[in-house]
Amino acid sequence: MALLEARGLSMAFGGLQALRGVDIAIEARQVVGLLGPNGSGKTTLFNILSGLLRPTTGEARFDGARLTTLPPWEISRLGIGRTFQIARPFAHSTVWDNVLVGVTFRARRGPRAALERRREVERLLATVGLLDKARATAGELSLGERKRLELAMALSTRPTLLLLDELASGLSPRGREEVMGFYGQLRGEGLTIFAIEHSARVLSRVADRLLVLDQGTVVADGRPEQVLASTRLVEAYLGEDDEP
Amino acid sequence: MSPTTLAHAIVAGVLLGCFYALMALGFSMIRSVTRALNLTHGDLIILGGYLGYWLWIGSGLHPLFLVPVAAAALLPLALGWQWLFQRLREPKELSSLVLTFGLSLFLQNGMLALWPGEYRLIASEALTASVSLGGLTLNRGRLLVAGLALAAVGSLHVALGHSRWGRAVRATSVDREAAALLGINVDQATQSTFLLAFALSGGVGVLFATLHYLSPSGGAELTLLAIVLTIWSGAGHARSVLGAGILLGVVETLTLLWSGPRWRELIVALMLLGTLLARAGGLVPRRSR
Repeated sequence: MALLEARGLSMAFGGLQALRGVDIAIEARQVVGLLGPNGSGKTTLFNILSGLLRPTTGEARFDGARLTTLPPWEISRLGIGRTFQIARPFAHSTVWDNVLVGVTFRARRGPRAALERRREVERLLATVGLLDKARATAGELSLGERKRLELAMALSTRPTLLLLDELASGLSPRGREEVMGFYGQLRGEGLTIFAIEHSARVLSRVADRLLVLDQGTVVADGRPEQVLASTRLVEAYLGEDDEP
Repeated sequence: MSPTTLAHAIVAGVLLGCFYALMALGFSMIRSVTRALNLTHGDLIILGGYLGYWLWIGSGLHPLFLVPVAAAALLPLALGWQWLFQRLREPKELSSLVLTFGLSLFLQNGMLALWPGEYRLIASEALTASVSLGGLTLNRGRLLVAGLALAAVGSLHVALGHSRWGRAVRATSVDREAAALLGINVDQATQSTFLLAFALSGGVGVLFATLHYLSPSGGAELTLLAIVLTIWSGAGHARSVLGAGILLGVVETLTLLWSGPRWRELIVALMLLGTLLARAGGLVPRRSR
């Protein structure tokens, strides 16, 4: 059985049909990329899977649990972590406190809990390379650092599935290489990843599968080389890869 | 003007400011977590005061014993208000003004029907005596109220900064969606904030009634005060609300001392305007909170 399964997901905002009967199935430990032009419904799909939106019709299941009736915090506790396209850390809190929030609400309570939380925050900040910025406020970080902080926050909920929304976009070539490194590292740790990226080239390097959405419909689903080999598809739906 | 008169005015201002802060805390907390402006805030304090007065007349108990009773009495209203606020449409600031304006009229007329006619005061002898401190003569009731205000602000500051509940409330007030994705039950955080804010209003109402006469329409001035302090301090920061309250209290008493009561409201209004022009987010830099 797939770890994440969605059947017939549709979402309408008034007269705008953002998703039209989307079916997806993602196996455990897969890295699946989601591509599509602006307005194709990618973020809407993530919002439904993370509980921020209720679909008009259809349902999604994660590890057997029905997601589409649950609030976001219960979905988070089931094991789905999420980052945003525009990173949204708590800007006036320190890097440490930002990560501590998620750790606090996933950690057990008890006499040794404070020490365990501290170790967990240190581990997560070391993972994303922000341990030396622990005392800085999130608002002082660069774009790349904010994205890494948000990744650490998503990981702080101890997810088994990560929904990553354009983790590499807007970054320098070096920053994108770092993100590629994170994808590899997270995959090595056994996480399942469903990732939106603007750059098809970035995703094709790390993904087992690529899905392409256009106007709320899945128009391609396959191995990266199959999807990207379709020149017409790439031109029509993905445009030229403008990132070097 | 003698140094003693000046010192007396400043101490009286600090005591008054502590009470102002206590009165504004509930408004600030709800504003922080829901972005809504609760225009019934002052009416709820007055309602707490009337409940306290009614119980005091009936039982003759020390007013301090009635504080938790009035606090608890407002809890069902907290749940009702939260239910209504959840249904507000965007922009929440504006729609909350419309909703709570109507609720404020409802509360005022309800209190007018229940307690018509005259002004009420909990004139407990236990609180009217004077005490001498360092050469200054102070009202025991005002000292007690200031002490309670400091205790409440201190407890809230520690709870918000260092408890699991505090982290949930702070995260919810900054970014509701991001907080929910981190596993925080934002509905529960909001509900607990409403319950605490309404309990504070009910309890503060009893203290208010020991110092000031109650009238059913007296809540508007208290709501305005809470709005001013929240604008000065930024929403949801207990320590900043205390600082803003003390600043307002001292400015008020010094204005009274130097210029008489005519200038009090004008000076406060000018300070508010100055704040809005200089810093829409409040007087205190956010990073230092």
